Amino acid sequence: MQTSDRDAAIRQIRKDVFLSAWTAGAGHLASAYSVVEVLYALYFMDVLRYRPQEPGWPERDRFVLSKGHASLAYYSVLSLAGYFGQDLLHTFAQPHSRLGGEPNMLELPGVEATTGSLGHGLSYAAGTALSQELDGNGARTFVLLGDGECQEGSTWEAAMAAAKLGLNNLTAILDCNCLQKLGTVKDVAGIDNWPARWQAFGWDVTEADGHDPDAVKDALNATPGEAPRILIAHTVKGKGVSIMENKVDWHYRLPNPKQLKKFMEELGISEEELTACKRHS
Amino acid sequence: MQTAFLTAISELAAADQNVLFMTADNGTDYDILFSRNYPEQYFNLGIAENNLVGMAAGCASAGKIPFVMSGSAFLAFRSCEQIRDDVCLQNRNVKLVGFGAGFSIARLGPTHHATEDIGVLCAMPNLTVLSPATPKEVAQAVRAAYETDGPVYIRMEMNGEPEFEREVPFAIGEPAEIADGHDAVVYTTGSIWAEAMAAREILAEKGCSLRIVNVKTLKPMDETKLAAAGNRISRVFTLEEHNVGCGLGMLVRNAYSKVGACASITNIGLDDCFAGGYGTQAEVRAQNGLDANSVAQAIAEKLGLNT
Repeated sequence: MQTSDRDAAIRQIRKDVFLSAWTAGAGHLASAYSVVEVLYALYFMDVLRYRPQEPGWPERDRFVLSKGHASLAYYSVLSLAGYFGQDLLHTFAQPHSRLGGEPNMLELPGVEATTGSLGHGLSYAAGTALSQELDGNGARTFVLLGDGECQEGSTWEAAMAAAKLGLNNLTAILDCNCLQKLGTVKDVAGIDNWPARWQAFGWDVTEADGHDPDAVKDALNATPGEAPRILIAHTVKGKGVSIMENKVDWHYRLPNPKQLKKFMEELGISEEELTACKRHS
Repeated sequence: MQTAFLTAISELAAADQNVLFMTADNGTDYDILFSRNYPEQYFNLGIAENNLVGMAAGCASAGKIPFVMSGSAFLAFRSCEQIRDDVCLQNRNVKLVGFGAGFSIARLGPTHHATEDIGVLCAMPNLTVLSPATPKEVAQAVRAAYETDGPVYIRMEMNGEPEFEREVPFAIGEPAEIADGHDAVVYTTGSIWAEAMAAREILAEKGCSLRIVNVKTLKPMDETKLAAAGNRISRVFTLEEHNVGCGLGMLVRNAYSKVGACASITNIGLDDCFAGGYGTQAEVRAQNGLDANSVAQAIAEKLGLNT
């Protein structure tokens, strides 16, 4: 895909994210915007092997969105990948929708694991990676973690187990945007050196600009070593809307009428598109 | 019961490579034997039950049939959210095997007792909850769990429990009469049926005939069958090494209520408290009023046999 097409697709994902949340009247916009390029690289740059027409393909790679509250970006990417139609996005978190505020594998094709409560995804992904290794089919597992999420102790239980088992078909991606709901990760938990922590747990650590799809792709497709790998993706929470970027206040908020104008301008959303998404709901 | 479990899971592992045995650094020499015989199907994931259950759910999502073993207390309470979100909500084919049910880890005290696990895990949608009474029933429960497509919890004891003196059929959902009688019925779950049988002998000397029913499936519960197993006897007792308010006592009360059966029901077990005391399992039972003599006395008092 040419760079201009890629940029257009990424812009479309950000538009879909906003319009889905706007229709619902709620959503974790800033968390979703933090991971758009990472998800794009996974699904559209020859990283994940998957078949939208055969979601249960046994030899597929697995992707687990451990930080389930980034679901808006996940849904937009799954829709773009062909798992379901774009119209479904505008039912987000509304009665009878299959798109919950957190993703549910029972309701939506392409979703590998039902997530939402933080600290579950890495164990689950270690389990799928272990099974893939036992089956010897060469499949890989990827899991996206939040940096705030890593305060859950279960994440470190899983980190120990995956390293001990030498699951080199497992790749974690840390959405390192340095913010959580009520403050910076450093202020809340005192954490400011992720590489040292993960290395101490026996993981191969690599770092990249999480908003550079090429850099993310290269890191995810690098030849594996003996250990599980983590990509520390340096990201900006709220990326793509200047008034939201790196602002704690935007963890779970939609814009007021004055801010809405700025959102529409920077995301390239027209009045017609804003009105149309309401009609779909 | 642990030996019976290991024998049963070894047979399954030999026949099906998708069967995995995953532990949290617990078990006995028999577990080590399994790891030697089936090294590619055995995983000691360390003292980390949250990860143990979460990983098992991931394995099950990729077609494996993991049997996860840890202390009942640690599985039910420590990894409760993983059981709920990763296993039950997603209806994953994970088999949770808890040893040390009731006070069978008696010497270590209440942190190691599982006296609320029935309440916690019967609250989980999609989960089948089995409570075998004998080593033979453990083997039957393991086989039944394997044949069940979905999550199962097996609560298991670990102190050389006795077998029934006669053949008792095992089927998920079926309570079983293990002794007939007509003055009162005692429902039991787990190995404490042996105390009920001994209490039955004591009360027989007073001319009282007890019917004993063993309940091995706690969920899904067929209330009609459970109440019918009481054979229309109006004096009903439940006996368990568990909190009665969220255990067998509650389940029997619910069943009688749902089917509209009239009975006077008395629950014998822990009444909204933790168990006290240390020693052998038999000694801890005695310290908490759950040995045969205490049970016989409680039943006799309720039936007015002591006057």
